[in-house]
Order: sequence, then structure tokens, then C-alpha cells
Amino acid sequence: MRTKLLYIIIISLFFQWIYSQEKKDDFLRFNIKYKNESLIQNKKYISLSKDTLQIETFRFYVSNIKLILIDNSEISEEKSYHLIDIEEPNSQIISISKNLNKEIKKVVFSLGIDSTASVSGALSGDLDPTKGMYWAWQSGYINFKIEGKSSSCKTRNKAFQFHVGGYLKPNYAIRTIELETKNSNFEINVDLAELFNVIKLSEINSIMIPGLKAMDIADKAKLMFTISESLPNEK
Amino acid sequence: MKSKYTFIILIGSVLVFSLAFTFLKPTPIYFQIPKGWPKPNYDFSKNPLTEEGFQLGRQLFYDPILSKDSTISCASCHLQATGFTHVDHSLSHGIEGKIGTRNSMTMMNLAWSKSFMWDGGVNHLDVQALNPITSSDEMNETLANVVLKLRKNDKYKSLFFAAFGDENITGQRILKALSQFELMLISSNSKYDKVMRKEAVFTNQEQNGYQLFKTNCASCHSEPLFTNGNFENNGIPLDSTLNDIGRQRITEKTEDYLKFKVPTLRNIQFTNPYMHDGRFNKLTEVIKHYNSITNNKKVSKQLKKSMNLTDNERVDLVAFLLTLTDNEFLFDKRFVYPR
Repeated sequence: MRTKLLYIIIISLFFQWIYSQEKKDDFLRFNIKYKNESLIQNKKYISLSKDTLQIETFRFYVSNIKLILIDNSEISEEKSYHLIDIEEPNSQIISISKNLNKEIKKVVFSLGIDSTASVSGALSGDLDPTKGMYWAWQSGYINFKIEGKSSSCKTRNKAFQFHVGGYLKPNYAIRTIELETKNSNFEINVDLAELFNVIKLSEINSIMIPGLKAMDIADKAKLMFTISESLPNEK
Repeated sequence: MKSKYTFIILIGSVLVFSLAFTFLKPTPIYFQIPKGWPKPNYDFSKNPLTEEGFQLGRQLFYDPILSKDSTISCASCHLQATGFTHVDHSLSHGIEGKIGTRNSMTMMNLAWSKSFMWDGGVNHLDVQALNPITSSDEMNETLANVVLKLRKNDKYKSLFFAAFGDENITGQRILKALSQFELMLISSNSKYDKVMRKEAVFTNQEQNGYQLFKTNCASCHSEPLFTNGNFENNGIPLDSTLNDIGRQRITEKTEDYLKFKVPTLRNIQFTNPYMHDGRFNKLTEVIKHYNSITNNKKVSKQLKKSMNLTDNERVDLVAFLLTLTDNEFLFDKRFVYPR
């Protein structure tokens, strides 16, 4: 009888330990914004290029997340591929073990999918081709997709569409984002205004294939990502 | 005493469980590489072949549920008896009578292919099916919607369970199952193969044709697959109603203008019409084309000189090409419509 009780105690302690381990997990939070406010789909915004625009779709891949600690040691996530979608708030929070004794000084990740995953056939999870982020006629992932409307576009329904990808050199459109932080309590801002401020929608409004245009807008998309530190107790 | 019984029950149940698992486990298929053939390009470790996976892929291949209005299946344009291509149609058909811009390709020995489609735009067999499924001129469907349709279907629930160990139907699993069926489409038992294995002999005419083939065709249609997997400009002019520039659309390189995948010649007797747009209906027309190719700057270097075969030699060459017919493959019961 007594041994049975002991077993139960041990087992419950074990589960509690597992549970506490999970609970300690931390999150990488992406705040999708337009200037100072959270982005609202289909709301009209005006860019510095004087374009009035509305965002309908915004989805992007974050991959190969790496945290660099104050002592220069690194923590990288295995199989790190995440699809972040404006329509799915859960996707904007990536669970990652930030529970470290040392402070984080830098976060590094890729905007898009690397060439290895792009030639590996049908993959699962966020990389499953059902996610609508895989090109059919020319293999490869769409690293990020921005679709919307603007009165500046002389296109059908005034639509603009950016499907940016490409895994073959010289049009390998993946981009590395490196963000330094002063403490471990940070969130990542993704501000679409930073991209639309540096392009003119009357000139660039449709990118659907890998190539020079995609490479250029991939460079500009890097500007969207900034870090926002918060006070430790604000978490 | 009591503990003894508990022990027996425990051991018994463990045995029953492990037995159940051995029966539930999918049956592996050993992928046999024909003697003398190169190593396949497909990475089987990422998609191990099983009988259940193959059967699921076969069901999907023949099921019009993959198309938007459930009218077109893969087999609509890829018929086994004609080397898994669309006989009599120069350009392939889709839903609502829509017509595409290319002749459907044959399907065989795909495990050795490094790229897919006439322009090589697809880099892996698993993702090839996305093309016909999503093309508005073909099935005009989304993979996400195929998943939803299959999830409502009890037959597929049990087929996915058998193949993958649970009922979860995903895009990845659909594509991998289709690959499993397609990978098994191996054609290696033609008369040519039997001659190479010393199980048969060529007639004099076939032998002469084989020699002509080796001098004039084999640099691109290299044995034993009868394709080198490259892209070439074979001198047929642009069809201005289709404006299909071929490989250049993928690479954006001007040197790839009008280059198309070198197709296999296996089962060529039945895979007409020929070329990427199906412009030649007869094998003799194809040979006539290569025999009197008009030299232009863009044509691939292997074709700079025309073949200049005599009438008799052309007949011999056709006789050899007919030895590439593999009736065991074309009528293999494992590949037919599943009942």
C-alpha cells in the first residue's frame, strides 16, 4: 500500500516537473503594425510616398530563429519554420525557450525559407503546401505575401500583390534579420509603413515571380523589423 | 498467487499489443533498381514506400475528387495503356472543357528524374501534383480544399490510417502518397531491356536501328532511361498561338529560349502525339523532323547536323524504337483503376 502511494507521489511529481518546464517556456511575439498602431485589415493608411493603401493579406515566414546571449553563446531552434499570418493571432506568438539565466543581446532569424527546405518535396506543419505559400508552376516557397488595394494602382480592382520568394541564386530572396536588444523582455515590431514608405505603388504593384524585383523588395522588407524592449515587470 | 496472475495478464497484454502493432504497421515495399541502372534521384528515406501508401496514392491518382468539380482525375490525362499520357490530344484538357498549353507528359521511371514538367519548373516529385491540381486550365482546385474534401470521406480516413498510422489527412500526406504510386511506375521490361539482359535478341533491322540510335539520338536520349534529363531546343519553331517559350520562363535566361525537357523514349509506340505541344502525331513525322532539321542558331548543338538517314534507315530506326514498348508495364494490374 505504502509503495503504491510512493509511486503515485513520484509520478505526480514527475508530471508537475514537466508541467513547470513547459510553463517556463517563453514567447517571441511579433506585433504587426502600421506606424504606431496595430495593423487593421482593410483600414486606409497613407504612406510617405503619398499612396493611400489597404492591406488585405499579410503572411510571412520566420525561420531559423537564433538567440544570442550576453556571453555570445547561441540558442537555436530546431526545425524552425513559422508562418505568421495577420489573420491568425496565435501565429504571431512563437513559443521558444527564452528561460535563460543569461540575458539575450541579439535575436537573429530569416525572413523566408532556405533553399534546403525549398528542394525537399512535400513538408508538413507550417511548410505544408496547403498553406498557400508554395508556388506550383515553379517550385519554391513564397517568403512573404502582401496583398491589398491602393488608388495609386492602375490595375484590376486597384489591387497590388507581392508574392516574394525564390531559392535559386542569383535570385535567392531569403533575408536575415538581426535585432539587438537591451534586455530579454522584448517584442518584435513588424511595421508595414516602413516598407510602403520606400516604394511607390504606382510603379511597383505586382511581384509574382522570383527575380530582381523580388530581390529588391525583399531588401526593403527588412526595414519592417525592429525590436521593442519593455520593462522587466511589464511582461 | 495474486501477483502471479497480474504478471501473466501484464505479459499477455503486452504481447497482444505488440502483435497488434506488427499487423497495423504498413507493409514496406522494397524498391528494386533494375540491373545496370543508375541510383534513383528520389530520396526514399523521406517517404518510405509501403503497400498501403502505394494503394492510397493509386486511389488518389484515379479519383476526380482532386479537381474542383470532381470531373478530372490524374488518370484523365495520364492513361496507363499509353505510357501514362493523353493519347490523341495534342494539348491536355481540364475541367469544363478547358484546354491547357502543353501535351501531358508520360509517367515512368520518375524516381530517376531530377526535375519535372516540360520546363523543369518543379524540383521534386512530391510537389509536381500541385501543378495540375491548382492550374486553372486543369483541376482548378486548391490543395487545402482537397484536404477538406478527403477529411469528409470515410474511405480515405481508413486509407490514410492504414498508410500513415492515423487518420490525419494533410497536404503533405496526399502529395507523398501520390509520389509513392508514381515512383512504382517502373518500365524496365521492354524487348530492349531483355536484349540487354541477354534474354532476347534484336532482329537485324532492330539491331541496325539500335546502331543508328546510338549515333544520332543517344547523346540526349541516353540509355537506360532514354533521357539525360536536360533541356534542349530541338529546332521546332514557336507556335505563335501558344507562345510557349519553355525553359526560359523558369530561368529567365535567353539561352533557354524554346528549350524543353528531353522526354524518355520508352513506350514511344503508344505515347503519341509527340513534342511539348503534341504537334507530331506519328513517329515517322518526328524522325522526318530530325532528319531534315533546319539549322538555326538557337538549336541545340547535338542537332546542328541533320541525321540525313535514308528511307531504309528511317524504317530501321522506327523498328528499334518499337522495342522500347513494355507491355508488362502498360498492362500491369498493380497500376490499373482500383476497385
